[in-house]
Amino acid sequence: MSSHCGSPDVTAPRPKGLFNYFSSALWDYNVALVQMLALCPALAVTTTATNGLGMGLATTLVLMITNAIISALRHSISPAVRNPLMIGIIAGVVTLIDMAMNAWMHEMYKVLGLFIALIVTNCAVLGRAESFSSRNPVIPSVLDGAGMGIGFTWVLIVIGGIREILGSGTLFAQASLLLGEHFHWLEITVLPGFQGILLAILPPGAFIVLGFVLAFKRVVDRRRAERRIRTHGELVVLQ
Amino acid sequence: MNELTRMPPAEAGDEPPITRPGLLEAWRERVAYQALSLGLVCALVALALLLGNQLTRQRIADAELQDRLAVLRQVLPQGLYDNNPLADAYRLEDAELGTLEVYPARREGQLTATAFQISTIGYGGPITQLIALDVEGRILGVRVLSHKETPGLADKIEVARSDWIKSFDGLSLANTPLEQWAVKKDGGQFDQFAGATITPRAIVKGVVRALEFQARQSTAQPTEETQP
Amino acid sequence: MSTPGIAAGPFAHDRSSVDRIMLHVCLALLPTTAWGLYLFGWPAINLWLLTCASAVVCEAICLRLLDRPLRRLLDGSALLTGWLLALTLPPWAPWWIAVGGSIFAIGIGKQLYGGVGQNVFNPAMLARVALLIAFPLQMTTWALPLPLGTPGAPDWLEGLRITFAGGALVDGLSGATALGHLQTELTLGHDAVQILDGHFSLLPAFLGYSGGSLGETSELLILLGGLWLLALRIIHWEIPLSMLLVVALLAALAHQINPQVHGGGLFHLTSGGLLLGALFIATDPVTSPISRSGRLIFGAACGGLIFVIRSWGSFPEAVAFAVLFMNALVPLIDRLCRPRAYGRNGRGKPLMAAKWTSQVKEVDKV
Repeated sequence: MSSHCGSPDVTAPRPKGLFNYFSSALWDYNVALVQMLALCPALAVTTTATNGLGMGLATTLVLMITNAIISALRHSISPAVRNPLMIGIIAGVVTLIDMAMNAWMHEMYKVLGLFIALIVTNCAVLGRAESFSSRNPVIPSVLDGAGMGIGFTWVLIVIGGIREILGSGTLFAQASLLLGEHFHWLEITVLPGFQGILLAILPPGAFIVLGFVLAFKRVVDRRRAERRIRTHGELVVLQ
Repeated sequence: MNELTRMPPAEAGDEPPITRPGLLEAWRERVAYQALSLGLVCALVALALLLGNQLTRQRIADAELQDRLAVLRQVLPQGLYDNNPLADAYRLEDAELGTLEVYPARREGQLTATAFQISTIGYGGPITQLIALDVEGRILGVRVLSHKETPGLADKIEVARSDWIKSFDGLSLANTPLEQWAVKKDGGQFDQFAGATITPRAIVKGVVRALEFQARQSTAQPTEETQP
Repeated sequence: MSTPGIAAGPFAHDRSSVDRIMLHVCLALLPTTAWGLYLFGWPAINLWLLTCASAVVCEAICLRLLDRPLRRLLDGSALLTGWLLALTLPPWAPWWIAVGGSIFAIGIGKQLYGGVGQNVFNPAMLARVALLIAFPLQMTTWALPLPLGTPGAPDWLEGLRITFAGGALVDGLSGATALGHLQTELTLGHDAVQILDGHFSLLPAFLGYSGGSLGETSELLILLGGLWLLALRIIHWEIPLSMLLVVALLAALAHQINPQVHGGGLFHLTSGGLLLGALFIATDPVTSPISRSGRLIFGAACGGLIFVIRSWGSFPEAVAFAVLFMNALVPLIDRLCRPRAYGRNGRGKPLMAAKWTSQVKEVDKV
């Protein structure tokens, strides 16, 4: 795992405490940027910021529910059959959410449809079940799921936003389909009359943007570590 | 899975390890327990899915019907019909185009227009279009339902990107001679797009086919009202 | 580049250096570039200057950001990348194509990989493909040749307007390249023989009075430049020869089998960027294999890919795609064709001592 992770070192103990389970997942243990999991949806659906937001929120919901269920059942799950059990639970929850979105958020479902079902195979969900919620009580598990999910969501929004601005000159187009009519103000035309760099919306654009986001995170982490050394005199190992 | 199972040990639980093996722990080792628990969870998941399907089925069916109606509404003007063209759809055999599903628009029982799907080969694959014609063979509207043309170059056939597709409105075989049914490059009256000629050609071809189909049908069966 | 004074050892230096290679390649490109610039007039001159200049400026900015010495600019590699990119662009493309392409080539294609000598892909081709995918309209609008000084050719001011104000090309001034024309007509079900009879003739295509990018007009001048580089031993003969041979053979074969659809060997050789690609782009020493057999495989595979993509792909021209694809395979080819080390066989075992080592092993067992 740590072989391909950025700074900070993931093998360092994750800070404990209820709030830390949530907050450390947002940046230091980010699913996409540090654990490098769930990159398939991160690259595939992020043609617009709205798609990223929708996918991120759906994944967050799945993570919280499956984490809660698996944590509640953790004493009765036999290690020998834990994988089929977890997959069964995850697949059930995802399918329920898939049906609910199709029924009540139909417009968004038409955009995300295929990818909602694919959350089942999102390794972040099984990863959290395996490594966290099967070993921790319900409340930390739910907080962990929420943190991991929101950490994933903001990465998707950032990648989707950059690709959308470059590719079509808008930001949060069709957000009202996802969030309701009250959110019309979110839909911005950043560059009016811009014909768009097609490359940004196509798959190679996703890889290029992800690369730049990763590089940006590393720069930020390095700056933070340097400042910590200056102010606290702490020894922080830089990679 | 290897990736996942090698999670750092630091994430192991908050709880103190259970020292005394309880009843549950002893049971967990038994094959029967494992099989039963797996079966039970699967049964519960299946039950939840059944319930969920029960709750959402009607809404999903409604929403999908609305989707198809919304597309039809783009090509069939609202005042032209009071029936449900989707419910009244019937199939027609045609010598050239094979079997077509036709959506009739009726007002007070009188046939006012028909809409149907037609598919032609474009630059990147098949282009499916929905075409609506009134009883005199005039085009009420054309919309592209699905296509695989080059984005940025040839996707101006989508109504969301350009009004080009509306240039067919009102035309018919009667008011436009057959040689005008081509893109300007081929001597016709329809604009091609810069850098993309094949796509508009395919669309024009599809529209002409639809018009000829309609003409064939109306000569073969002057009273389409007899259709079920 | 200074040679450290080492006294012993069989060292020979032929005064070859990065600067010298880059300079000679640029010189070899000069005739075909000058001809192309003459043919397409002021807009093309603007575009060429702009692409080269922005490539050099981008390189300078990258060096500055990386805290590397600015004198590395003098090796001319950025200039050459910009130059090659300019030769593959539509001559009347707007300024942002030139600048954007140069930034992609130098910033992403070269410096992100670690600078000169470290890039996996040919930066100019990377930028060309990125531009083609990002801006299909601008990258497939080809101006017809309008030589400087002929009536109707844009003067200096008009040229500036075309490059910088982005005036759309009038229909009469633009035309498809021979490859593009063939593909479009074929999709309409026309016959390849008829299409080429009406639209393509060999001699002008070879001498260079045809539409296309700056670098695909005159095959003759490219050939001259390439031969000069071969004579100087800056490029090796394996890649160009195997690449051109494979394309010509495959095309001739396909033409024999089905002349209705395929254009024939000479048509493929004189169309598009094949010669430029074979002599100047695929031979880039950084992104091509080291060994002779590796280079033969590389060139032949490039040629095969070019023919396949040109015939059955959705893009009419394929040189950039084929070269990039094979660039990605270069490490594998190098592994496959590892040169034999002196005194050892292909597997790395000592040659003469083979017998002796087996005897030693026997002894060890005892």
